[in-house]
Amino acid sequence: MFIEILITLAIAINMGFSMGFEPIVYNVISIVIVVYLAVSILYIIRLVKGPTIPDRVLALDALSYDLAVFMALLALLLRRPVIASGLIVLTLWIYAIDIYISKYIEAREMGE
Amino acid sequence: MNRLEALFIFIGLTMIAIGAFFDIVSGIGVLKLPNFFTRIHAVTIGAVGGSVLPLIGVAVVSLAFKDLGIQRFYLAGVSIAGAIFILILAPTGSHSLARAAYMMCKAPRKPLVYDALESSRREAKCP
Repeated sequence: MFIEILITLAIAINMGFSMGFEPIVYNVISIVIVVYLAVSILYIIRLVKGPTIPDRVLALDALSYDLAVFMALLALLLRRPVIASGLIVLTLWIYAIDIYISKYIEAREMGE
Repeated sequence: MNRLEALFIFIGLTMIAIGAFFDIVSGIGVLKLPNFFTRIHAVTIGAVGGSVLPLIGVAVVSLAFKDLGIQRFYLAGVSIAGAIFILILAPTGSHSLARAAYMMCKAPRKPLVYDALESSRREAKCP
């Protein structure tokens, strides 16, 4: 098992030296992007179904952190680095939503 | 130089793959765990293991990836900055949300065995 992985890795490195690393990078990132899309569907199920308001906000947090990684991977896959520009702004807005919701819950103005 | 690029690209792709594994674990945990206070564990796995690690992996890959041209340094910088922001801000937001939900009794604590913080609350007991 381990030796087979090592042999596969050696073959991949030799292929990379002979014909460039682009096919390896693009294949791996295509698979990982599908994984991130599937996990986003799980988060959306919890976001719609969540019994209380903190559950929904928590699912929204996880969904947007996934979206940030998705934007970076998409910029690497499509060879357009400008796509990743909105990543920092998205993170800061999600932190603002956290603080906003928790402040209004503690002031008894939201929920129930 | 070529060998160094190969090392960078494989380290970065390994980090991205490990981050995808952590993200699958986090998705299953958010969907299946019974309680709000237990779901916070799963979301922390998804934030630190599933977002910070792949962003640093994207930065390491794009530093050695000649196909992007000179703009690859831009992608690396944005990824590192986003990773540091998520590493600082995600636990802070989760902590404030958990404190609000505990103090105002907005989430049920059903499978809880022993609650040591309950005696220090000044208000009435939660239903």
